[in-house]
Amino acid sequence: MAGMPETEGGQVTPVGSTAIAERPLEDNLLDIPWVTIVWDDPVNLMSYVTHVFVTYFHYGKSKAHKLMLQVHNDGRAVVSSGSREEMERDVTAMHEFGLWATLDKADQ
Amino acid sequence: MKKFRRKSGAAVTHLSSYEVELLSSLVTQLVEMISDGEPESYAQPVSDDPFELWAQDLASDPDQPETHEDPVLQRLFPDAYPHDAAASSDFRRFTERELKTKKVADAQVVLERLAGTDLGAGDLRIPPEEVQAWLRTLTSVRIAVATRLGITDAESAEELSDLPDDDPRVFMASVYDWLGFAQETLIAAV
Repeated sequence: MAGMPETEGGQVTPVGSTAIAERPLEDNLLDIPWVTIVWDDPVNLMSYVTHVFVTYFHYGKSKAHKLMLQVHNDGRAVVSSGSREEMERDVTAMHEFGLWATLDKADQ
Repeated sequence: MKKFRRKSGAAVTHLSSYEVELLSSLVTQLVEMISDGEPESYAQPVSDDPFELWAQDLASDPDQPETHEDPVLQRLFPDAYPHDAAASSDFRRFTERELKTKKVADAQVVLERLAGTDLGAGDLRIPPEEVQAWLRTLTSVRIAVATRLGITDAESAEELSDLPDDDPRVFMASVYDWLGFAQETLIAAV
């Protein structure tokens, strides 16, 4: 993960400040988008992965199918993006469906 | 078993008494594994009250490891932040109890519906509102069986279709295929 953001005016962030308390501020200030990534696994059926994308994200059949193929062929696909909180919600939902999902900053 | 078919809105098939017992047993084992032998503590509805959730959190085992040692649980509850162990641990602490409760609730839907077939005497009818619980539970059971079979990639999955008759994995491999058939035809029927 990236370090603490430099605050305007060159203020020094004290060592040992609570990272969690600073986190939302960091996200809001820099407006960093986050992404949900679904990874390929050898168990989940292609039809099921497509079904999950349609059911949860309400993507159209062809978009869901394309994303599923990307997971299958490239080993991973970005399936949604947004705030960190939204992506944590999406990742939890993917885990509920049994897909292997993680979240990350959009630029990584 | 035969394919699931759609009949007046429901997904319908017929399971033999043996298939009902087998699936019930697998789902029961899943519940035991997820709830660490305490299914009743996960059977309660998830509360919206943050104070109550906090109290539940405090009541849970303080020695609970931050990551799971069992490979099945590792796969069912994967790290959300692969590059950040602390964030993954926080995420797990805030979400895992609810996730486990939902998985147990899904499994109960399946077990009750299976019990309703009277050991395969009647058809298995899955109404639309239960389909997601069924698909999610079949997924969890398939993941558990696959992990025990050592399926880690496409090659190891392929290998299982070609086992010699005396291989000890033959039975579980056939169960795995059966679960895949059930899930695939259920998706096609809805």
